[in-house]
Amino acid sequence: MTALIDATGLEKIFRSRGRDVAAVADVSLSVGAGEALGIVGESGCGKTTTARMLLRLEDPTAGRIIFDGTDITTLRGAALLKFRAQAQLVFQNPFDALNPRFTIRRALAEPLNNFGVPVSEHAERIDAVLHRVRLTPPAAWLDRRPHELSGGQLQRVVLARALIPGPKLIVADEPVSMLDVSVRAGILNLLREARDALGLAAVYISHDLALIRYVCERTMVMYLGRVVEEGPTKELIAKPAHPYTRALVAAVPVPHVTQDRAQLPIRGSLSDAASVGGCAFRGRCPHAMKICTDQAPPLRSITPTRQVACHLEGAML
Amino acid sequence: MRSASAILRFFRSEPFAVIGGAIYGAIVLVAIFADGLAPYPPKAILRVGARVARYLPMSADHWLGTTSSGRDVLSQLIWGTRAALAVGLTAAVAVVAIGTVLGLLSGYLGGWVDKIITWFADIVLGLPFLPSMLVLASLTRPGTLVVILSVAGLLWPNTARVIRAQVLSLRERAWVEAARVTGCSTGRIMFVHVLPQVLPLAALYGSVAIGWAILAEASASFLGFGDPDTMSWGVMLQEAYANQALSRGAWNWFAPPGAALMAMVLAGFLISRGSEKLLFPKLAEQ
Amino acid sequence: MSMLSVRDLVVTYATRAGPVRAVDGVDLDIPAGSITGLVGESGCGKSTLGRALMGVLPEAGKIAGGQIVFEGADLVALSPTARRAIAWRRLSFIPQTAMNALDPVQRLRAQMLEVLVERGGLGKAEALARASELFHLVGLDPIRLSDYPHQFSGGMRQRASIALALALEPALVIADEPVTALDVIVQRQVLDVMRNLQARLGLAMILVTHDIAVVAYACDRVAVMYAGRIVEAGPVADVLENPLHPYTMGLTHAFPDLYGDDMTLVPIDGTPPSLLHPPAGCRFAARCPFVQPRCADEPPVMTGDHQAACWRVDEAAELRALAATPATWLPK
Repeated sequence: MTALIDATGLEKIFRSRGRDVAAVADVSLSVGAGEALGIVGESGCGKTTTARMLLRLEDPTAGRIIFDGTDITTLRGAALLKFRAQAQLVFQNPFDALNPRFTIRRALAEPLNNFGVPVSEHAERIDAVLHRVRLTPPAAWLDRRPHELSGGQLQRVVLARALIPGPKLIVADEPVSMLDVSVRAGILNLLREARDALGLAAVYISHDLALIRYVCERTMVMYLGRVVEEGPTKELIAKPAHPYTRALVAAVPVPHVTQDRAQLPIRGSLSDAASVGGCAFRGRCPHAMKICTDQAPPLRSITPTRQVACHLEGAML
Repeated sequence: MRSASAILRFFRSEPFAVIGGAIYGAIVLVAIFADGLAPYPPKAILRVGARVARYLPMSADHWLGTTSSGRDVLSQLIWGTRAALAVGLTAAVAVVAIGTVLGLLSGYLGGWVDKIITWFADIVLGLPFLPSMLVLASLTRPGTLVVILSVAGLLWPNTARVIRAQVLSLRERAWVEAARVTGCSTGRIMFVHVLPQVLPLAALYGSVAIGWAILAEASASFLGFGDPDTMSWGVMLQEAYANQALSRGAWNWFAPPGAALMAMVLAGFLISRGSEKLLFPKLAEQ
Repeated sequence: MSMLSVRDLVVTYATRAGPVRAVDGVDLDIPAGSITGLVGESGCGKSTLGRALMGVLPEAGKIAGGQIVFEGADLVALSPTARRAIAWRRLSFIPQTAMNALDPVQRLRAQMLEVLVERGGLGKAEALARASELFHLVGLDPIRLSDYPHQFSGGMRQRASIALALALEPALVIADEPVTALDVIVQRQVLDVMRNLQARLGLAMILVTHDIAVVAYACDRVAVMYAGRIVEAGPVADVLENPLHPYTMGLTHAFPDLYGDDMTLVPIDGTPPSLLHPPAGCRFAARCPFVQPRCADEPPVMTGDHQAACWRVDEAAELRALAATPATWLPK
């Protein structure tokens, strides 16, 4: 099966105070229709920048993105508009993701207008998408404005707006982190349902591995702009290979009284990031060796489905 | 509708702005009903018996006395509000339109557009207002249009700067990015999504520009660059000056237009002062 | 033996529409030498309660009734001067963003000294030694005392604000979402610092958080708040493993777990009631799948060590079994 979206060697360099900072370096990924990929990592690891490049909200400084057989890396104008209709974003903060002056009807009609859907189809499509996100009866919601809705309801509208152009890819950047626990499940279930029913490819960005586990079969772990590990989510959580993934998995708080409270297998903090060359994690790694300073570990396969960027071998992994 | 109520709320929370707004309001009313309010036609040469009623002092018949050519000062003052408002409102609308559009382009597009507009704004801000206007007026035919154009051409940077700052923060909002993702063109994002959010602010700046424009018109008229056929406060002052009203002690002639001008400028200042709290809430807290 | 007893506390916020009862009749006991989690969703009143205990309510908020008895004195009745005397020394506060506790234009050393010398009455040399010791305790290199807050990462700043809060060895520390803004690894490290210090210094701590997992990791006891009231309280093990209140039962099925079998998460349908005009009876009634006629009229009362404000506490075991099936929570 060919992937719906296939990115190779993505790189994003930002210029900040006269210095070049690589927010993302050499990231490759591919997601097929009906598949969900999770990208996890701490803030500043480049996961959001990666997602924004996939949506062409940020132009990569190097690398290539093939979407549905077309190179979209440098699309402009009408071709870019056509791509936008097929790749949509679910925002993190529902309280900020909708124009406060627009009614729900207008917010949902706008993408249809922009993507050239005939006006005669609007009412029907808006009705259908509101049913899909369970804002029913639709008529009760259409004339409301964002400030009249709760966070969970707003996020349903945001999801509806992403679904209404009929996209093939949905990117969700921390889709529930701003929501209360009791309504998170509703949004996550809707995302799962939409993917299954519409056969969407999905990319989820989150710092929360538990959430990623709920919605993604495959997960990519990023650290300082690079992919350090990739594999099936459950395997990756059960047997993390990269020392950073191990720390990340151990640090995720779980809602059980009996749990491992041992000290995390990690040293220092993000500000102890290693300088140029070698493995970026070596300054915090409990297993750092001489080779880690000399040589950046390439991403290599350790099983047919798993990849890791670490110099450790065999049982140490 | 929402912006109208926002402006209303603002005036309610700012006593200074209320006074400013009240002055503007009073002048608008006077201008509208000038026909009924003015006791005499402003240009009619009044007579006492056979003689021209020159330099009459304040009295029940002529509340503010008469001029050297026997015209009623109060009537001129009342009619002057029309010229003041015509100039003030037109210039203010021009200032706001130019400033808002340039501020919007500069803030939203960034890059070289922003550089050029900011550079241009800085230059214009550096120009001394009155001399520049006089140069403009002397290069062309004197008249109201030149005054309006020079006010618009010289005052837009203030508005543009504030709008730019506001747009810079607005464009970081997720719903602006959402507009991009859902296929809005750059123009649509700027004018349909962002512009309505900055309009209240633009209106506020426009209200300040009214006072400035009126003062500019008066200055130009006073210095002889205005339209002599228009009955304006500047023309009144110019006439008074040319006829040595000051040395004759004819306060009743030149003080009223002067006071009216000051009131207009003060009104603009009071509104802008009140608006500082709205624009820079942190500053006002201290 | 509780060191802090809250009785029937009511905190209101003045709004244009009228007073909002953000905390509405809260009873809470904090035992000495333990960490109590105060958990709930946004708007449930947990932060307001924490701030009321600390005496740092925002301007629009005021304590409209009830008592906060701390070490024998009712803090509500205390004069501002007497309150200030207790602040830092007996009772201290760790805010959500460390920048609220730290002065951006002063070196950490100066800020530590200010508390230790001005408030604590230590000599300068003694205070310096103590500041180094405190930094060491929270896992910061004492060399960094000469840094400004902006030179610290988020986690380090939160450590510094913990050091500041613990400077005068208070008996009770109230932490308002102290790890919410931090990444998971840093979050875990800061929680470890707090847990270790609490055990070592034997102090009592109130941890205000929206995250049940944080409570499970760090707390001994927990009070679950909903719509201005505490709906369930008790030892963490009891409350999380055997919840008595339907709201708590619902929460435990509402978010994903890192381990365990695949399951379908179940959202709790609806939204909390308006605190402008709270309902007469149980506040969860409108969202509760187990609601009965009396729930709408009579507010349930709580008794015992593990307690819940629910009329059907006696049937909790059966309700828990029902609550575990998604169909129970489907909107009717």
